[in-house]
Amino acid sequence: MDRRQFLAVGATTVAGGLAGCRSMFETRSARSPPLVEDRPDAVYVPTHVEGMEMVGTTEAGDYGVALTYSFPHRFWLLDADETNRVEIRGEDSAHLMSVVWDSETGTVVPNSSVRATVERDGETVVGDKSLWSMLSQNMGVHAGDNVSLDGDGTYDVTLEIGPVSARRTGTFADRFDQLVEASFTVEFQQSTLEDLSFELLPDRQGERGAVESMDMEMLPVARAPDPEAIPGDAIGAPSTGDATLAVTRLSTPPEGIDGEGAYLAVSPRTPYNSYPLPFMSLSATLTRDGSEAFAGALEPTFDPDLGYHYGAVADPQAGDELTLSVDLPPQIARHEGYETAFLSFEDVSLTV
Amino acid sequence: MPPSRISRRDFVKTAVAIGGASALSACLGREDPDLPTGSAGARPARQHAWNDALATDDAGNDIPPRHHLVRLFDYRGDRPTDADRETVETALRSLERAYPRSHETDDGHGVGLLSTVGYGPSYFERFDDPGVALPEPEPLAPFENPTPDDADVIVHLASDYGSVLLATEQALDGERDTVNGVEVAATLSDVLVDADLADEGRTRRTGFIGAGLPADNQGVTGIPDSEPVSEDAPLYMGFESGFKGSQASEDRVTIEGGPFAGGTTQHLSQIHLNLQQWYEQDSREHRESTMFCPAHADGDRIEGTGENLGADNQVAGCADDVTTDATESGKVGHAQKTARARVDGQPRILRRDFDSTDDERATVHFLSLQSAIAEFVATRQAMNGTTAADSAAVGQRSNNGILQYITVERRGNYLVPPRNKRALPAAP
Repeated sequence: MDRRQFLAVGATTVAGGLAGCRSMFETRSARSPPLVEDRPDAVYVPTHVEGMEMVGTTEAGDYGVALTYSFPHRFWLLDADETNRVEIRGEDSAHLMSVVWDSETGTVVPNSSVRATVERDGETVVGDKSLWSMLSQNMGVHAGDNVSLDGDGTYDVTLEIGPVSARRTGTFADRFDQLVEASFTVEFQQSTLEDLSFELLPDRQGERGAVESMDMEMLPVARAPDPEAIPGDAIGAPSTGDATLAVTRLSTPPEGIDGEGAYLAVSPRTPYNSYPLPFMSLSATLTRDGSEAFAGALEPTFDPDLGYHYGAVADPQAGDELTLSVDLPPQIARHEGYETAFLSFEDVSLTV
Repeated sequence: MPPSRISRRDFVKTAVAIGGASALSACLGREDPDLPTGSAGARPARQHAWNDALATDDAGNDIPPRHHLVRLFDYRGDRPTDADRETVETALRSLERAYPRSHETDDGHGVGLLSTVGYGPSYFERFDDPGVALPEPEPLAPFENPTPDDADVIVHLASDYGSVLLATEQALDGERDTVNGVEVAATLSDVLVDADLADEGRTRRTGFIGAGLPADNQGVTGIPDSEPVSEDAPLYMGFESGFKGSQASEDRVTIEGGPFAGGTTQHLSQIHLNLQQWYEQDSREHRESTMFCPAHADGDRIEGTGENLGADNQVAGCADDVTTDATESGKVGHAQKTARARVDGQPRILRRDFDSTDDERATVHFLSLQSAIAEFVATRQAMNGTTAADSAAVGQRSNNGILQYITVERRGNYLVPPRNKRALPAAP
């Protein structure tokens, strides 16, 4: 296997079964097997896992940036609490993916403002296309979409990365607020796509669970910090909507947040792989001695120690009853295995 | 598409986009507008007073001219001379004698030729005391990095006939002796030269607006091959935009005092569109939500292009809901956000924008008029939806109106003097 191809572990390879299956249509059908029937309303093992081609990595402003591609994918957009399935089009050539991370700490940055322009011989093939923020089991948080290219050849890909929307704290406070560009050259070959690993998971598909993330030396994977490693006092890690909400109390707010009192931080993450769940609406109430001590939204915040989380200077005190409500599911596009999870949430309550 | 299948409208667009004598002769053979000549008589004191020459639809909305041409020039000289002023004024008057502002047609009403001439900051810099508060164009969002257009002079021409724009352009360039049977007494090219714009910016920007034209011109980068733009759409994005209720009046955009009283300011952005996701991945409901507001989509208030909304896009009622919609619906509407810029319920800018196939890219030339550039900036800042982006689900561009689908490539600011100062005005 090419060193630049990455493979999720623990699956049975059936790439040999595709030998001779060279027409575009057949290849795509073979690589987009029917969805599992009766998918659980939770994270589940998808029908297959696949490799991807690494174009390269570079630095741009505050970011490390990777560009990769695989064959075109079906995926699901989120529109409030509904999913909207995006089908593969006949003209789609590849699924283009980017990961951006903090070049100093390696922390993946959930950035919903990545755009791709693809040119060939100076002609624009794909112009200023916004890539969706996406979540996949083997890649975690990334930006991607299917693109239609013009056959085999050399393409110039420019990624334009806009500022991060979330509030930023600590050493992240003055970072990720610029518009930067990263450039790549892609030698695109249909045969490269067809040589990517592809593995069906007939024995596990549809089970609650997830495939592991790719073992990628060249680019980091977004991980929410281990609850044990989060600074402050761990209050609990209840589960709702199949997400785990790691709840922490910090005696003072992260640097850059105004307010007096203790800070309430909630770090929602996927089960199994602990990927952060960005772009959701989350609110909290604190009840103390029978009366409401705090009620309000938790603000999306990106912090070097807490990662991407939702927080407020709510001043939680020992003994308070804390109720967390998800007001809007994470508005991040989903790859197979995540599209039925994180859509409907019950309130969770715990004692500080 | 084989030539025999090019529709009449498509051909006219192609001709305007291409320009030149052969395009004109081919265009004339198809359009044959049989226009009367214009008159040397009185014209409105405001160059930008076009609305009385426009037809209106059943709801009372002004119908913009279908074809547009913008040319960007630099002045050949340093301080403008009276002789050069005379040349510019004579050239413009020749065109006004050649074409009517509007005329009656078998179908009702047609726009012959409307024009404005404006001047950029670089034009006024040549004076010791420019005396004009005209800001240089700047990025108006943290996620854009447009190239500033620094032309001295901008000419905006509009007509319902592509052939009129092509003939007019040839006259201005000194390539014709007569237009519509009227002698061309002077040409702009004697005193103006195509502007030298940064990053090889186009000095010639063309386009169209009106049902049928976007659909017939959707074979460009940025619109998917599935030809999703409907025949009744006036613009590529598929919805009406020029509602009377969301347009400032010509009075509102007129400069009230000072040396250029009776004039206006003009902003011109060049914006690229990528509508593949818009048409092939987003749902119709999502498009309605992000173009207008989520309440419109929830209430099923929009039919087709939104023509059923009448003379008002009816977003005033949801303008106050931007923050709530961002938190609860995960998206906010473009019109909903921009409505927040209104003053006493009145919009601040008068849109005269149009779509374009320039550079074979789906493009918007966003041309707007306002009493000061700050009015445009305020409107654009409302459109940025920064407060909505403070919620997690709405990003700086994602789910934030139509920002996800547009990229501002260039911006330029201009002053459009009153008609009596339209020819190379002196510093006040």
